[in-house]
Amino acid sequence: MKKLSSALVPACVLALASPLLLAWLPSGGEGGFLGSSLASLPPAYVASLVASFRQLAITLVATAAFAASIAVVLGYLCIFSPAVGRIVSSVLEAIESVPAILIALFCYAPVSGYLARHAEASSATVSLIVFILAATATTLPEAVRGLTIPLGELYYRKYSLSFRSYGFRKSRILRILMKTRTMRGAVSRSVAGILLKTLVLDTSFGFIIQLGFGSYGTPAHLSPGALIAANRDALFPGGDPVLFWLPAMAIAAISLGLVLALGERKESAE
Amino acid sequence: MRVAKFLLYELVLRGALFAALGTAALSALYLASIGAPPESYAETGRSFLLMLSGSPDFSAEHPGFSAGRIIASGAAVTLPLALASIIMLALVAFMGAALSTTADHLASEYGARAQSRLLIPLKLAACALAAIPLFVSFWALGKDYGNQAPFPLIAAATVLTGGLGWDATRFLVSDMRRQAESTNAMVFSTLGMPLGRLLPLPGTLSGYLLASSVPRFLPYLAGKVPAIIGGVTIAEIVFSFPGLGSALMDALLERNADLLVASVFMLLCLNAIVAFIVKTVLFLVYPRWYEKAV
Repeated sequence: MKKLSSALVPACVLALASPLLLAWLPSGGEGGFLGSSLASLPPAYVASLVASFRQLAITLVATAAFAASIAVVLGYLCIFSPAVGRIVSSVLEAIESVPAILIALFCYAPVSGYLARHAEASSATVSLIVFILAATATTLPEAVRGLTIPLGELYYRKYSLSFRSYGFRKSRILRILMKTRTMRGAVSRSVAGILLKTLVLDTSFGFIIQLGFGSYGTPAHLSPGALIAANRDALFPGGDPVLFWLPAMAIAAISLGLVLALGERKESAE
Repeated sequence: MRVAKFLLYELVLRGALFAALGTAALSALYLASIGAPPESYAETGRSFLLMLSGSPDFSAEHPGFSAGRIIASGAAVTLPLALASIIMLALVAFMGAALSTTADHLASEYGARAQSRLLIPLKLAACALAAIPLFVSFWALGKDYGNQAPFPLIAAATVLTGGLGWDATRFLVSDMRRQAESTNAMVFSTLGMPLGRLLPLPGTLSGYLLASSVPRFLPYLAGKVPAIIGGVTIAEIVFSFPGLGSALMDALLERNADLLVASVFMLLCLNAIVAFIVKTVLFLVYPRWYEKAV
């Protein structure tokens, strides 16, 4: 039963995350696979839908890669030098005490004016970088904690003495410990957590910016959240509710996939 | 002495000082990103001090709002919503944990799996709700209620959708499961006390397990306060409530640094107040655990 569940969960996760993959199909645009599947919807809407999920996929992958690398380096540093660890912990604790949406708004909203004044290609890159930095700041505390606690436990409680008796240096012991199954699990849990938090932040932020700023807001940062906000009146009489619920359900499916992955990994860790 | 140390650390250091420093850092970030001239920093700092002193000169250049009005909007909308959400979060976690741990107990001790089976669809529903973004549930709620949506309903949406309730329940369930394996809990379960399937009330098995888990659950709850305040801010913007979230958006839209500083400071203060309330409960009920958590 356990084996069946461990085989089913990755398949379910993959199926639920499929909106991110479908957006990248060569025929994903207008007139293509998605275009013909969603033929009843306005072509401009389908194009925005595909573009926003492509942007979301890029944001998720870039943020996960960047934040996870920093988290691994910081986690490693925290164990390598306890003094640095205390400083890092205090800084991250302070960041964690500020609501994530506030950090994203403060990092991003003032820059929107700059973005609107520059060419699309450069502003799209700046937009992505600013968002990745904001998302990294908000996801780091939990990710670093998720790595430092098991690494510290392995280092101080289990293996350190026996490794030291072989004359291994601290850095070598940590390198070996980072390759253990426990640490590989911790890293993948942290990545799943980063992805989930970034998804929530990106879509909520896109929704709020679109709701508050409208077209003045963030022309370069497409987000399914912004698409939902742009079609929010579709829920009222006379509108087509599909325009609202289609991206909303796709986001919910991706979140559910990540929630399942996180739940499964937590259970196997316990 | 212990109380003075607690108040100094939680109220002064982590409350007032953190809110002031956080506001200064975020405001400086904002001014830097809009390329404000150096004198704007001093002007914004002066404005912040005027707001703290409650001076009528605060934001004289931008009539239409005062320090008192911003504080009142925070007290009337943001604080009650945040408190209702945190109470709701605790209740949801307590109920979920009671249902789950008693189902485990019935299955392992008596082979009765009916409750465990009943819980499967409930768990799936909780997972599905956790995956729905907060702003989607808020907007769907707003469709029926407009800006007249009742606070308890918004608090329920904040907790049940977006993953807060799911995560809190998982945390408490896994902690209570560990407690259930302890010798004390095993002995307690032989006394023939009620199970407390729905709520972990005192004198029940789930209540006994909860009593052992609460010292770890309260710091967890305090750590979730920023997420709750973030959710409440989104709710205020979506429902157009005259709270701090709307004031913040207006400030960013109008590039009004005074309103921005005031609303961020109040948001961080409310964040600190709600976290302080949770930590006070921990300090009063489990002082040793509080010291361990600090």
